[in-house]
Amino acid sequence: MPEKKPKPETPATFARLPKEAPRLGVYICYCGGNISDVVDCERVAKVLGEQPDVIVARTNMSMCSDAGQAMIEEDIREHKLNRVVIGACSPFLHEQTFRGTVSRAGLNPYYYHHVGIREQDSWVTHDDPEGATAKAIRLMNAGLAKARHLEPLEPIRLEAKKHALVIGGGVAGLRAALDIAERGLKVTLIEKTPFLGGHMAQLESVFPTDEEARPALHELIEKVVHHPKVTIYTSTVIVATKGCVGDFQVQLRPVARGVRGVAPGIQAAIEACPVEVPDEFNYGLTRRKAIYFRYPGCHPPTAAIDWEHCTLCGECAKVNPKDIRLEREMTTFQITVGAIVIATGFQPYEPRPGEYGYGEYPEVVTLPQFIRIMAMAEDAGELMWNGHPVRQVAMIHCVGSRQVPGVHEPQPDGKVNDYCSRVCCTATLQATADLRRRFPQIRIFDLYEDIRTYGRGHEEYYRQASLSGVRFLRFHTEQGPVVIADPTGEHPLVVKVNDYLTWGEELEVPADLVVLAVGMMPGPIEDLIDVLKLSPGNDRFLLEVHPKLRPVETAVTGIVLAGTAQSPMNIQESCAAAEAAASKVAGLLSQGLVELEPFVAHVDLGRCTGTGACVDACQYEGAIQLETRVIDGKEVQRAVISPAICVGCGVCVSACPNRAIDVQGWTLAQYEAMVAAIAAEIPALVEVEA
Amino acid sequence: MAEERLRVDALVVGGGIAGMQASLDLADQGYHVALVEREPSIGGKMIALSKVFPTLDCCSCITTPKMSAVAHHENIHLFTYTEVKTIEPNGGSYLVHCVEKPRYVDTGLCTGCRQCEYACPIDLPDPFQMGLSAHRAIRVPFSTAVPQKAVLDIDHCLLCGKCEKACPVDAIDFTQGPQDLVIEARAIVLATGYETTPRDAKAEYGAGKLSNVIDGLMMERLLAPTGPYLHVLRPSDGKEPDSIAYVQCAGSRDETLGVSYCSRVCCMYAIKQAMLLSGALPMADITIYYMDIRTFGKGYEQFYQNARAMGIEFVKAKVGRITEDEYRNPIVRVEIMEEASRVEERKHDLVVLSVGMLPAYDPRPLYGVPIAEDGFVEAACPNIAPPMTAQPGVFAAGTATGPMDIVDSIVMAGAAAAEAAAYLERHDGEAKTYAGRSISMGEKEAIHA
Amino acid sequence: MNAKEKARERTTALKRLREEHAETVARTQALLKEQQAFRKKLRAAMKGGPKTIPQIAAASGLPSDKVLWHVMAMKKYDMVREVGRDADYYQYQLAEEVAE
Ligand SMILES: Cc1cc2nc3c(=O)[nH]c(=O)nc-3n(C[C@H](O)[C@H](O)[C@H](O)COP(=O)(O)OP(=O)(O)OC[C@H]3O[C@@H](n4cnc5c(N)ncnc54)[C@H](O)[C@@H]3O)c2cc1C
Ligand SMILES: Cc1cc2nc3c(=O)[nH]c(=O)nc-3n(C[C@H](O)[C@H](O)[C@H](O)COP(=O)(O)OP(=O)(O)OC[C@H]3O[C@@H](n4cnc5c(N)ncnc54)[C@H](O)[C@@H]3O)c2cc1C
Repeated sequence: MPEKKPKPETPATFARLPKEAPRLGVYICYCGGNISDVVDCERVAKVLGEQPDVIVARTNMSMCSDAGQAMIEEDIREHKLNRVVIGACSPFLHEQTFRGTVSRAGLNPYYYHHVGIREQDSWVTHDDPEGATAKAIRLMNAGLAKARHLEPLEPIRLEAKKHALVIGGGVAGLRAALDIAERGLKVTLIEKTPFLGGHMAQLESVFPTDEEARPALHELIEKVVHHPKVTIYTSTVIVATKGCVGDFQVQLRPVARGVRGVAPGIQAAIEACPVEVPDEFNYGLTRRKAIYFRYPGCHPPTAAIDWEHCTLCGECAKVNPKDIRLEREMTTFQITVGAIVIATGFQPYEPRPGEYGYGEYPEVVTLPQFIRIMAMAEDAGELMWNGHPVRQVAMIHCVGSRQVPGVHEPQPDGKVNDYCSRVCCTATLQATADLRRRFPQIRIFDLYEDIRTYGRGHEEYYRQASLSGVRFLRFHTEQGPVVIADPTGEHPLVVKVNDYLTWGEELEVPADLVVLAVGMMPGPIEDLIDVLKLSPGNDRFLLEVHPKLRPVETAVTGIVLAGTAQSPMNIQESCAAAEAAASKVAGLLSQGLVELEPFVAHVDLGRCTGTGACVDACQYEGAIQLETRVIDGKEVQRAVISPAICVGCGVCVSACPNRAIDVQGWTLAQYEAMVAAIAAEIPALVEVEA
Repeated sequence: MAEERLRVDALVVGGGIAGMQASLDLADQGYHVALVEREPSIGGKMIALSKVFPTLDCCSCITTPKMSAVAHHENIHLFTYTEVKTIEPNGGSYLVHCVEKPRYVDTGLCTGCRQCEYACPIDLPDPFQMGLSAHRAIRVPFSTAVPQKAVLDIDHCLLCGKCEKACPVDAIDFTQGPQDLVIEARAIVLATGYETTPRDAKAEYGAGKLSNVIDGLMMERLLAPTGPYLHVLRPSDGKEPDSIAYVQCAGSRDETLGVSYCSRVCCMYAIKQAMLLSGALPMADITIYYMDIRTFGKGYEQFYQNARAMGIEFVKAKVGRITEDEYRNPIVRVEIMEEASRVEERKHDLVVLSVGMLPAYDPRPLYGVPIAEDGFVEAACPNIAPPMTAQPGVFAAGTATGPMDIVDSIVMAGAAAAEAAAYLERHDGEAKTYAGRSISMGEKEAIHA
Repeated sequence: MNAKEKARERTTALKRLREEHAETVARTQALLKEQQAFRKKLRAAMKGGPKTIPQIAAASGLPSDKVLWHVMAMKKYDMVREVGRDADYYQYQLAEEVAE
């Protein structure tokens, strides 16, 4: 059943046409063997063909194909069918497809009922073909029973706000915002931190083009910032939402920046700040003040106060009292948007203390840190780290990725990161190339399980690394490398590894620096998941509805995904996903109208006595209310549904003492007929079940 | 008389999954699209696959409804068996001259009943079945083809007229010739797809002469419910194989073939096929010889681990050569990398080459769109605007832009649609009026110059 | 256009096609002949009950890969049926024999 419901321009009309005798068409799909390998579809068709009111009963290799659909259309026309029942995959996959088929043939699309005989039958009962066939017959027979009680319905149509909200100001969010705005729709982009750009800003040159990250990013930011259709709020998060696709009312909570405009003398103000904290831009390798710029040239070009660490001492404001104001709170405000793009990005995996010596030895760093180390290193002479010249570097892949339960320690939620983070291999090899080019004398060891340089131009980094003398050692997950202090004291560390390129021998690699190619984890967005009712997958990244049919949509219509909030991706993939998300938003909103399934509660005013039991039972604020009406000159209370808010859950149906409420498309009468049919004696079934 | 033409917002070239999705994404936004496919049916390579990773949905379940949606969308004009011949810039738009090849079948009359096909006396290797089975000189291309209409292959026709006699609706029409057609489009999306490494590319792997050394697409057909044998059998003698081996990177990451890149999909399709095979042939031993397993996509690593848990054998090895014994069993010479490159010869019943992806079409002459060293369309700004080409108003999607799987092709198609839409909005001159203007079928006919 | 004109147009078109495609038609005719000869041997070898591909190949002296291809082609167009199994092989039989 659908999840969300909208506000119709006109209340859903529940037209009850004079009942004509049902003329049923029954279709059983082979699903290319998925069903027919287990269920004897021909037999199902034969038995159902003998049921009352059934005019035709047919099978097809794939009913959803054009030929299958054409057959149904033709039957509707030729045999004047007025109800269609299809037994196939889950309705989730193709209910919409067949609604289109039925309506093309001139029938109300809700005169069709879908029975899932793949997920609910052939896939789960695959070891018992006879039983599965009997089950298919029973399920289909229940479908027929429901079909006899179907009523024509109209989808709920509501106006869609031509305005989208993008959450997250990384490269994916920026890209999505630009594409939606270019399409002529209004965009509001919110970024949780005071600065735009996300993780891309922390990269130097990026694979596969080796272009400079920040100039490319700034070009995009400029376009977004100057687009007349885009409004950006930094230091802003979502605190609540209501409504549904076309009409989400979103509460935003901004935090003050504390600094205004270019603020002359801002550098002096920053220097005046007595607070020093680890600088997240350099992943804690350096320190910054509590009033700060993210990096020189960052966007927006206005400093911000880090309220987390600011002691409100006022030293900075003394330097520039005009532009610095130490007041954090701002009032929340509301915007109404038709769709929401989630581009909340990722965070690098943070190794556990002691994992490969991380946190124990200063010579063990993560790849993002290493990229910052290289960014800050002078080219001349030697690379220095922790006071030593670096002569040997060991790179360890798959840290925090491709983990195996029982081998790796789980995260606090009890799960290991069993997925591949896909960017780390190429990012590591690109960093290696940079190291090789700038410090050719350093010996590099690369400890890996599989090298996954899959993308266009990625393999070249691998090839170059091999050619340039990087020594590759292959470990098995169960016998990962171990980092210890060098017992000889010659180098700070030794990495012990069983190398399976040479019979699994244990080798000892002395190292001055160990770089952990950490994977990606989704950003901390539990609150957002809560507010927007999103579903994370097993890997904690946000889940798409279907990887092929609807790869950037979430289960909540109108909320789409862009970039690494969905799964690990590189910049190119994040941008492609963001653009695809923008396409979906444009498709939803550009017509200014959205259509939703009419499966919402409906009150029979003839039976309603205004007890209010339904209102008490309802979980969705405003979905059902009592209204005063005048009937026969008397003022009475009657329940009224707001179809925009009602989700069709049916709680009110069970609460109503008068049986005055039904969920359209799933009425009690329909359920009762189905239950009766499922339990009924079907003469032809006796043989099958015998 | 003034030349008549179909005016659309966007032309999409190629009706594989990427071209179909780009068309749908544009059409859903209200733009008018012309989709031109050179084959007699849309569907591309995907429609010939069995089940598709990572969800293992049957491929038809995903593809056929999209094909149907394309055919029925009111904003999409579909032209199959049609090729673009020339393109001229026309002040902010492109005039695209196309030729629709003769099917020798009146598609207005043909019902797809296949009586002609049964009547035709000649059997020819069926490309849809990768040559493993036959079709006739006149046929409906495959059971889920869109349009579901017969097409006559004049180069293999006896001109005997048997089909004409068999046709119950008199749809066979020998008077047909190529039809010219002009499309004026303001933006273009190239979705011309990929080819696979030819099976005979490597002499070391038998140069295509060993009948029990097949390629990945052939195995897709063997596994498909509409396959050539309806079982997994080996082509030399119809034996159900007990031992099947996969040779990874057979055509990718191979400098000797001039293909240095990774084709991205082969690890996953080999693992997928291995899993499907262990369902179809529970007793069979399945071995995958690989250099690196690259299951990088969402949920893909878990897919790989499941395959290992199912008992599929993964051997890190290079396959140096494949020969066959007197029973035509392939003998695979492997260098086992995990054991310091120890060399071993192993016998299997059937070997599958995990062939890579090659570009299918060179867009330079017609579209002026540059290609990169690897032969695929070069992106003008690969990181930030992946579908954009150097040619204004021309975008690219799917495997035309490099190897990728279906999920990525679909996402790229959505991205290309977004870029094309943004371009159309930025350049909304007088042409803007086309959007939303529906062209009647009558007008559609009239555009045949 | 009346029926007569239509018929004339068709005849002219066919004539033109035959001229233009003389070479491919000749080649296809040769292929057809070859196919018919092959099928004759194949059918003879298939007579008398279900057989596997190696059995048909042995009985006909035809190469087993080609036998498989033709049997599958014939199966597709309902001239042959798959009727059973013998160890690692499926068995096939001429459709008319199965029908009897
Ligand atoms: C070490 C390393 C090296 C890399 N090198 C490369 C490379 O060379 N080439 C390449 O192509 N890719 C590379 N990548 C990948 C690249 O960094 C990502 O693909 C890209 O940054 C993802 O962008 P995004 O917008 O999805 O996420 P992010 O960059 O994470 O942006 C998300 C944004 O959303 C904001 N946000 C989060 N939650 C909220 C909220 N609740 N409300 C509002 N805002 C919120 C965040 O503050 C952030 O600004 C690398 C990654 C790593 C880890
Ligand atoms: C053996 C194998 C198994 C696979 N299995 C899977 C799987 O399980 N899951 C998965 O996600 N991916 C899989 N893939 C990858 C998948 O096939 C591709 O990702 C997908 O089909 C690409 O679609 P496309 O539209 O880009 O290209 P194509 O399918 O190649 O479509 C291109 C279309 O354009 C047409 N065309 C080309 N040039 C022109 C022209 N000049 N004019 C007009 N039309 C033209 C072609 O005829 C074709 O119809 C597999 C690939 C192989 C080789």
